[in-house]
Amino acid sequence: MNRKHTLCTLCLLGAASFAQATDYTLWINGRNPGGTPGNYGDFRYWGPDSVPAGVNKKAVNWDGRSSIASQSGRVRDALDCFCTGNNWCYIASYSAGDLLLGYTLANYGGSRRQPRNAAPNAAGVCGASGANPQGGWNIKWVRVASGAAGGSEIADAGAWTTSEPLVRDLKVGTARAMYNHNATRGIWFYMYAGARGTAYSFLLPGQDDEVVAYHSSGAAAGSGARSLCNPGDWLCDDLRLGTAANQGGSTKWSYHSVEFRDDGEDYNHYGDGNWAGIIGVVRAAMATTAN
Amino acid sequence: MARDPGRRRAFGLAAVCASLAPLIWLLARDGAVPASAPPAPAPGLRFFDPIHVAQPPEVRAEQRRLLQQQVRLTDHTYCSYLQNSQYPHESRPAGHNPDQLYPNRPLLEASPMRVEGGDSDPQVVLQTTQSRVYLAAGETATFSLRARDAHGQAVPLVVTRALAQGMSYGAERAAPRVTLDFADGGAGAWSAALMPDQTPLASFHGTIRTEVRYKAGGRDGFVLFDVLYSPALPASWTGRRSESRDGGSLQFVLGLDVRQPGRYVVSGRVDDAQGRPFALATFNDVLGAGAQQVRLTVFGKLLHDGAPALPLVLRDVDGYLLRENADPDRLLVPRLEGKVLASAAASLDGFSDAEWQSEERSRYLAEYAKDRIAARGRLAQFDPGVPLPASACGPVAGGAAGETTGQR
Repeated sequence: MNRKHTLCTLCLLGAASFAQATDYTLWINGRNPGGTPGNYGDFRYWGPDSVPAGVNKKAVNWDGRSSIASQSGRVRDALDCFCTGNNWCYIASYSAGDLLLGYTLANYGGSRRQPRNAAPNAAGVCGASGANPQGGWNIKWVRVASGAAGGSEIADAGAWTTSEPLVRDLKVGTARAMYNHNATRGIWFYMYAGARGTAYSFLLPGQDDEVVAYHSSGAAAGSGARSLCNPGDWLCDDLRLGTAANQGGSTKWSYHSVEFRDDGEDYNHYGDGNWAGIIGVVRAAMATTAN
Repeated sequence: MARDPGRRRAFGLAAVCASLAPLIWLLARDGAVPASAPPAPAPGLRFFDPIHVAQPPEVRAEQRRLLQQQVRLTDHTYCSYLQNSQYPHESRPAGHNPDQLYPNRPLLEASPMRVEGGDSDPQVVLQTTQSRVYLAAGETATFSLRARDAHGQAVPLVVTRALAQGMSYGAERAAPRVTLDFADGGAGAWSAALMPDQTPLASFHGTIRTEVRYKAGGRDGFVLFDVLYSPALPASWTGRRSESRDGGSLQFVLGLDVRQPGRYVVSGRVDDAQGRPFALATFNDVLGAGAQQVRLTVFGKLLHDGAPALPLVLRDVDGYLLRENADPDRLLVPRLEGKVLASAAASLDGFSDAEWQSEERSRYLAEYAKDRIAARGRLAQFDPGVPLPASACGPVAGGAAGETTGQR
């Protein structure tokens, strides 16, 4: 009897330990609504969910219009669900989702978290796994499509509706003062900056993807905006790849690295519900590296 | 020979377990055991597809490129974390926080003149300053603006109207609105001060937007200044300030009288004896009501590695009560501007040069190390006999022979 129990216990423990150690890929949307908040399987914001976008992908849906502070709980719920205990996460964020994740890590990244069981209820909240509390979440790295953590001049100019608290948060000076953007808990943010912008180029300094300028999508540090461009523009400083200081001396937030600069001006801001634009570049990267 | 039925059942169970084990392992290896089954991948090359000898060269080349990419990525992830986590997240070198060092400097912005209808005039550049973005009760924000042409020459500007109003949303009651008097300071520069507690906005909590309309270069333009105002102080500094050595680190200890309990986030800048920024110290923890202490730490190893000119000086402390899931999300603690406390420590004696250790750090290093070994193992399996790239932070644990392992 003892031997039987021992064998089965070992077998089940082995299986359990494998099953409990799972990697997930979280996708955090930007402005405008899409998927149902709390439903991690709803990828309507992004595109067909049959498309590979990282291992065990989950859509961290939030309403895309409320304030960053009020929606941070959605991100914390998802991080608690899938990125605690033995489970680890790769994260992709987009536009205002960059601001939302950065805010969450800077303010709550070191808080004690109760590991969860990766089985969410309808509200997107998971049950306790029974493991001991831990400091912060388990995140491998983050890839950011057109990050708006540095704000957008479109919000400054009053060109977007003033009925959305999110638009207020996206004002350049406000977004940059909201939290310490260097405080990522040592987790890398790999930035993907699009440059196929035309409609709002008169508002957005330097290169842009029609919504976000390079100073934000390229993670340039500082309290205000600056003009940054692709190489070759004599009237504008270059956004440099990696963590290097930009031409003109501006630096990047710590743990932020420009992975992709749109030298061909091929990618705009819009995903079009089909993984398009700069989102498509990040999706391809997630498919091959978030494994 | 007859067998004991109990033993047979035991062996049967063991056999079932054993037969399932590879399947469980394979599923777990690729992380394919989520709470809900993941969608079927699209046809085409997948990263962990089995490797067949007969694959065309271009397919193998692409697989090799991806495997090499993973080796670089996992190596960078591990090595950078190993290096950067020598100090706790709450005690960081000033150089890691270049935009956090002078929080009381005004926000300077320049943009093409914005005109009604969403258009702009690129011939006129509006330069603005704003003293504060976050404003505590009793504090003042100042705004200024001036216009320049493409050559940097002053363009005459006249402020025609300036209104400050609390922003409200949906069914919220409209907030009060006050007129702001901008004054011509000469050379085309206009400025005004906003003191919410001296106006009907005194009890408003949230974003106060000041919309300034002006005329410059013959056109009508506008600019928006936003400040986030908190009308009540959740806590007050007691004035008690001291330093201590705890765990081999230097701590600046500030007394705080907490009226509203909750999570407080406080930051202080630490300069060396020559006034050069040396560290950013942060406190982020839950405080109960009553007399409390906020401890801003300069980690011992950071002192040893940075070797600053002593004594150190704490200056420019700001902080807030973080209101979880609420908008506005914070109530500001009064900022302490300028020098707050000079340390008495004149040498590094007694400060530890040990690296930061914590459950969080150990957890991250273990996971990142596992990923690094696994990535190298896959590349070694793909290209047997080909030397693996050197790591950025020394030999990989497990050695060459162990580099083919790494599953969970």
